[in-house]
Amino acid sequence: MRLSTIPLMVSALLAATAAMAENPHAGHDPHADHTPMQAGEAAQGHSLFHLDAEWRTEKGESFRLDALAGRPTIITMIYGSCTTACPVLVNDARRIDRAAPEAIRERLQVVVVSFDPARDTPERMADYADDYDVDPKRWRFLHGDPADIRTLAAMLGVRYRDNGDGTFDHSNVVTLLDARGRIAERNEGLARPVEPIVQALRNLQDGRQAAGMTAW
Amino acid sequence: MRTLLIMLTLSLPPAVHAEAPGIVLIDGGDWELPIVREESTGPGRVDDFALDVRQVTNAEFVDFVRANPEWRRDRAPAIFRDTRYLSHWPRADALGEGNAAPDRPVTRVSWYAARAYCREMGGRLPTMTEWEYASERQREALGISPTDYAHQLFSWYANPGAGGLRPVAEGPASGLGIHDLHGLVLEWVEDFQLVLGRGDDIDLLTGSCGDTARFLPEFDEAHYATFLRFQSRSNYRPDTTTSTLGFRCAYNPE
Repeated sequence: MRLSTIPLMVSALLAATAAMAENPHAGHDPHADHTPMQAGEAAQGHSLFHLDAEWRTEKGESFRLDALAGRPTIITMIYGSCTTACPVLVNDARRIDRAAPEAIRERLQVVVVSFDPARDTPERMADYADDYDVDPKRWRFLHGDPADIRTLAAMLGVRYRDNGDGTFDHSNVVTLLDARGRIAERNEGLARPVEPIVQALRNLQDGRQAAGMTAW
Repeated sequence: MRTLLIMLTLSLPPAVHAEAPGIVLIDGGDWELPIVREESTGPGRVDDFALDVRQVTNAEFVDFVRANPEWRRDRAPAIFRDTRYLSHWPRADALGEGNAAPDRPVTRVSWYAARAYCREMGGRLPTMTEWEYASERQREALGISPTDYAHQLFSWYANPGAGGLRPVAEGPASGLGIHDLHGLVLEWVEDFQLVLGRGDDIDLLTGSCGDTARFLPEFDEAHYATFLRFQSRSNYRPDTTTSTLGFRCAYNPE
């Protein structure tokens, strides 16, 4: 295990403690996910949808992360001119997408966010998307503001550095978000087995069915 | 030393607070972080930037929280701050004594909260390179030798915040006209999550002696003191809040 995953685990523990303190029933409920959303922040406390940023898709359309609400999402961060790790990361997301059971896959969303707003224009992201031959209805390639990119990376636990020469050093992480934008699983590294995230997707779906909710 | 000093008055949204601290314009230059990284490309260019003369105070931050209640400790989304966020204040929107007094630097603020504050002020957090550049220029302007710099930092890092925090900006601004870069509280920077190599394979958290040596371009006390600061930053998470970590804002010169 990488050391850098430890803070996230600590974070999850703290979050669980905080949620239990604020909602005395949360600890008794294995499917706290489906408790009716209350005004308090505990239910959605760790949702990435709190990031109120406007992105641009590869089609040039405005996009906000909360548009992902209601369905699970695979998200990763790359830069388009990267020829080393990034194609592997996008391919890892595609491998997960292809390995998911069909009923899940047709509801699964995949988001690829660029570190490089200067070069990865929506037009260039569109070319990039074409290269990968992925379902354009479920995949989004996002271009954003540098400060928002930095925030999203922090929320995902992705470290990166702009080397100033068109290259970026960055961590390689593929993250699964649940339907409320909370991190459900992280896959750190390149060309890792897809099964942990695929299993986490199944667990999310099972949780919804056990709660009497419709599939996504 | 070609650092140019210009005192500017910051224009602020009137709702936030009426009395703005000064900012100082720092002339850029070619510079390289005093730390060895993988595939270092040599000195980079630091562009001119402006920096708050002093750290953000409790008084300023409580004004921000009152104007932006989504940043109250009882309302801020948990993803943006840990459970100790502003916990030293007696109430969510009121200050108190000691480290919660109006003139003390605000502490127990997350990176997200610090960035939100600076954005509200029309600025941003300084980058790590900018902050370290200012620190080095300040040391030169004050005529502090590298050894004295190291000893002062060791003494402070050994027990930061001991006996309660002092008010910000006591006495005249020194050197570049900046207060408290060292010795009061540590400060958030925009890119605190330093990446030293490709991916996370090389990480300060691994912290073995061999790694430490590899990051030091020179094995003197000053480089080691500076390295400790990088290492402590590397231990933060963006939602981290501590009693010895505050911030000041930077601005792009117009």
